[in-house]
Amino acid sequence: MNGWILAAGIVLGGGGAAALWGVTTGPPARRVIAQNLTTSAVCPALLLFAQGYGRPAYVDLALLLALLGPVGTLVFARLLSGEPERERTSAWGLTWAAAALGAAVVVALCVAGGPGRAMVKLLAIGVLLIGGNLIASRALAGGFQGVRGG
Amino acid sequence: MGGGDVYDAVIVVALLLVAASATAAVVQRDPARQALVLSFSGVVLATLFTVLQAPDVGLSQLAVGSALTPLLIMLSVRKIRRRGRSKEDTR
Repeated sequence: MNGWILAAGIVLGGGGAAALWGVTTGPPARRVIAQNLTTSAVCPALLLFAQGYGRPAYVDLALLLALLGPVGTLVFARLLSGEPERERTSAWGLTWAAAALGAAVVVALCVAGGPGRAMVKLLAIGVLLIGGNLIASRALAGGFQGVRGG
Repeated sequence: MGGGDVYDAVIVVALLLVAASATAAVVQRDPARQALVLSFSGVVLATLFTVLQAPDVGLSQLAVGSALTPLLIMLSVRKIRRRGRSKEDTR
């Protein structure tokens, strides 16, 4: 049981530290990418905490974050479009690494939990997390100008 | 290693992240960049609440901190900048 908490702590510490460093330094475009990384790092950590504490209700936090995280990133992508520097920035390696982390955590929790309604919920969170991550990354990679349309 | 060590270590990690991100949000000068760091800080704060076994508080903090507060700040920043620009144009 403690292994889950340990894994969650490592994911939270590593991903959180990387995202904090990215979000406080560098040009604005890179900061938005780091803000997007926050969602993809903290959401798997929350799922691991739910498993580690043995409280399935904690999964709701991960669900909410998977829903609202990409929304927040799109808010920044849309409203930062007035900034003078408009370099196209994409970090597809980072995006796929974050997506792989989310998928690995969801699969591990599905294997540990076994089939049932909880597994359906976990799979829904995984799809939301990875889908939102890809949408946000695509919006950022298309340049802030590309987001203006929709 | 006792069973409680991991739990305490996770709380310490979350506390350190909250302290570092809140300090970083204060140190930034540009309001738009402050909003970015504030959004990160809100998500980490929600994680801290979860680790401290208060998921209900974490849930509301997540809803407000991750999308709503940055949206309000960014909208205000944009409006203020636009107003300043139009005043310069009329001069």
